[in-house]
Parts: sequence; structure tokens; C-alpha cells
Amino acid sequence: MASYAVRKSINLAPTVRALPNGIPSAPRLNLAARTPSDGHGHGHGAAGPRADVPTRLTGTFTSPSVGLVSKTFSAPSPTTHLQQRLIHTSVAAKDAPQVPDFTPYTPKDESTNRAMSYFMVGSLGVLSASLAQSTITGFLETMAASADVLALAKTEVQLANIPEGKNVIIKWRGKPVFIRHRTPEEIEEARGVSLKGLRDPQRDEDRVKKPEWLVMLGVCTHLGCVPIGESGDYGGWFCPCHGSHYDISGRARKGPAPLNLEIPPYDFNEAEGKLVVG
Amino acid sequence: MAFANAFYNTFVKRNSVFVTSIFAGAFAFNVGFDVAVTSFWDRWNQGKQWKDIRSRYIQEESES
Repeated sequence: MASYAVRKSINLAPTVRALPNGIPSAPRLNLAARTPSDGHGHGHGAAGPRADVPTRLTGTFTSPSVGLVSKTFSAPSPTTHLQQRLIHTSVAAKDAPQVPDFTPYTPKDESTNRAMSYFMVGSLGVLSASLAQSTITGFLETMAASADVLALAKTEVQLANIPEGKNVIIKWRGKPVFIRHRTPEEIEEARGVSLKGLRDPQRDEDRVKKPEWLVMLGVCTHLGCVPIGESGDYGGWFCPCHGSHYDISGRARKGPAPLNLEIPPYDFNEAEGKLVVG
Repeated sequence: MAFANAFYNTFVKRNSVFVTSIFAGAFAFNVGFDVAVTSFWDRWNQGKQWKDIRSRYIQEESES
């Protein structure tokens, strides 16, 4: 069996090579060629090249002394040497030849402008940290109580007007405050009570700042009624609502009250003889 | 140049030192700015503020 192979395809060498900057180079292709023009039938003749001459896309016409020679390059010879010539006298081909050379402007050393750059960064940090701090402080200050609120939050009592053995009820932040000027016998009585029998054991020394002045919030710890002074079984206060009895130190002794009468924050102004509640 | 390198080596080289000194600088800047602005304000408004004219009125009251 005779076998023969028919070569159906061949690899043609590239007829066009690329320049180092990527532009294809086809030196023998006449890109300026124009199509033959015709007068398209209304008599003004040809506007372009002569219609009877073939366009020279490739190839040349020469007319030597005898006859006419037409050369047509159907397949221009491939260029086989495509490598760049590395040693030559022309300027180097650059990636982006339009970009100027900044070498004279770049710093000679990495430490040249380093401290200045970090100084500017740090200064910006200092300024923004300071700004943030003042902003936050400003917001927090809006939450603080203003001066008029603080002025209403305190109540002053002239202590010289309260005789010994008398109760005074004042209003402080909308609540009654009992102030009792205790006699020495009452102080003795309050301090002599055994803590073991108390519902809410608290020493009298812990409930007063000065033994003769007892300052308490006049709100029953049971359900919030206002106890009546100088009454009850223990000579102190008595709550009429549910019958809680408090002693002369304001401690719950009998009845449903679970806790002693509350002590508000207070201070003595010795110079003016005043009691400041709040 | 020597100063710049000393600054870099002292403050910037370690980030912890850099950040800490930024916060410390912010605190100092806050205080200094406050003092400067307050003193400028007091000088600009000299004789107009209550603390400047308070002595006159308090004295008059105590005399009368």
C-alpha cells in the first residue's frame, strides 16, 4: 500500500515584525496608496490618481527602455534577525520615553528628608489628638449639672435658730429633711441602745457627724410616708401610715419599716453657724 | 542633619515611643494653648472683666 502524505498546511514565516516599541513594521507596504478613482459618470474626470494605473500597495512599476516591469511582493521576505542590538550608539529605548528623568531630584540618602517627614506626621497627630480631646471634653461637659441646678441642690439652715430638744423640717430636693437638736440625755439614750436588738444595726456615732445634731431624710423606709416627730414608743419618730417606730437616732425599732431613716449628705459651716444639706 | 537623625532615633524609631510622645505632646499642647489663649484674652479685655473691676464694687459695699 503506497502511502503518501499531503502537506496541507505550512507555517509561513511572519511577514511583519514588531519594532522594539511594539509598532509592527512592514517597510515595503505602501500605506499611502489610494484606490484608483473613477469619474463616477458625470464628467468631471478623475479626482485622484489615474484610473488606468494599478494601485501600488506592494511592489513597484518600472519602465526600463524595453517593456514594462512590474514587481509585486506577494510574500515579502521574512526578517529573521529580531534581537535588539545591545551595543550601539543610538539612545536607549525606554519604556516610557516621554517621562523626564528625575534622578537629580531624588534624595541622595534615605535619611535626608526622613526626620522632617516624620516630624510633620507627628505634628498632625498632636494636633488631631488635641482636637479630639477638646471635642470629647466639650461633649462631656454638656452632661454635667449646670450652675443653677447645683445651686438648687443645696439647702442651708441657720443652726442658731433651732433650740435644744426641737425638731425642724426643711425641704431639700423636694423631700423633707428632719433636723433635731438633741439634748445630752437623748444622746445618752441613743448611744446606750444595744445593737443586737436592732433590725438594721447601726451605731449612733455612725449616723451623726456631731452628736447634738441629727440630720435625716424624713421619708419612712417602709412606703415613703413622712413620720411624725417626738412620738412613738421610743421617743423618736412614728409613721402614721403603717405604724413604724423610730428611736431618737432615727433607727427602725418597731413596725414594718425595714431600714433606719436615711442620712443625706450634709456639712457644717462653722464660720456662719450653718448646716448645708446636699 | 545630626539633629534630624537624633530626633529620628529618639522618637520615631519605635512606634510605641512615637505614639506615646504624640499623646504627651497633645497634652502639653492643650495646656499651653489654653494658657496662651487665656492670657491673650485677659490682656485684650483688660479692665472689662468682673475679676478686674470686682475690687471697686466690693470695696464700696464694705465702706457703706
